[in-house]
Amino acid sequence: MAEKIRPPRLRISRRIKKNKVFKVKVKFDHPSFTGLAIADDTSDPVFNRAIPVTFIRNMLVYYGDELVSRLRLSSGIADEPLFTFKLKAIKEAPIKVVFIDNFGKRWEASKKIKFKG
Amino acid sequence: MKKFLIFIVVYCCFNFFLFQTVFAGTVVEKFKIEGIRTIASTKALQSELLKKLDVKIIDLNLKDTDSGWPVLKVEYDPDIISKNKIESAIGEIEDPAGHNYKVHKGPLITNAAPLEEESNAMMKFGDMTMDLKQVKNPTVDFDSSISRGKDMFAKNCAKCHGLSGNGYGVVAHGFTTWPKQLWVWHKADSSADSYLFWILENGKSDMPPWGLILSEDERWDLINYIKTIKKPEES
Repeated sequence: MAEKIRPPRLRISRRIKKNKVFKVKVKFDHPSFTGLAIADDTSDPVFNRAIPVTFIRNMLVYYGDELVSRLRLSSGIADEPLFTFKLKAIKEAPIKVVFIDNFGKRWEASKKIKFKG
Repeated sequence: MKKFLIFIVVYCCFNFFLFQTVFAGTVVEKFKIEGIRTIASTKALQSELLKKLDVKIIDLNLKDTDSGWPVLKVEYDPDIISKNKIESAIGEIEDPAGHNYKVHKGPLITNAAPLEEESNAMMKFGDMTMDLKQVKNPTVDFDSSISRGKDMFAKNCAKCHGLSGNGYGVVAHGFTTWPKQLWVWHKADSSADSYLFWILENGKSDMPPWGLILSEDERWDLINYIKTIKKPEES
């Protein structure tokens, strides 16, 4: 965990209309890893711990001040994951996505929703 | 007289060196090693450590360790080398990919306490809510139920919980938390039934909701068997 982790990046559709569903994409370059390795291939595959496990354990999505979604993740998550989800544009307010890993470290990204057309 | 004194001195010196070499106070220490990712890693660690320090490597156990971390067993003379010196020497060695090894000292799995933000989210979206309905165990013939439960346990549960229920099943290393040691339910009375039935039905943490897979009778068979699992020392 010594390496510096870039903050997550958030992308949303350019044209968002009121009461329409829009897509949100979040990319987070987190080095999630189970920490397991096969160090002995002479017998049945048996895993041993290679490095301490590190993974994003929670992803929280806020629309304005309201928490609208929570994703509970486990060590099985890929490193540098990309999340895509949809929201209904009911108000002009910021979208904020928060990531928390198993060490209790927190990252966030946000973007303001503005209606067009 | 002079010859006798020389004999005594030589005899004492001989015994001293014999004691130093044969009965020297060597100790055996176990080190949990971080950074062993491949077979080449194991060889590199052992050969480099022997080059750096005057120690004897007894064993590098990759499998069947309690914690899952590889354990390096080293014999050394504490008068010549300290434990800290061995740890720092291990920390200086690089594996073939250029990563440093390390002696593992932290907790088995790091999982920091939930932040306030996470606790609030868990409260809002469930995860902590447990709608326990009072249920009654309908089993009549407990012996045959336990026997069926035992077969089902070996088939469905032992991979994670271990055949003895110790929580060290073969796939348990991949989880964020160790599976429960099931002997905590040994001889549990009927007041535990509602909780056990709820957990089996809905799952918890990494455990899937078995309510989708097993019938209600099968779940009761499992519960009846789980209550018979003893801690190995006691069985």
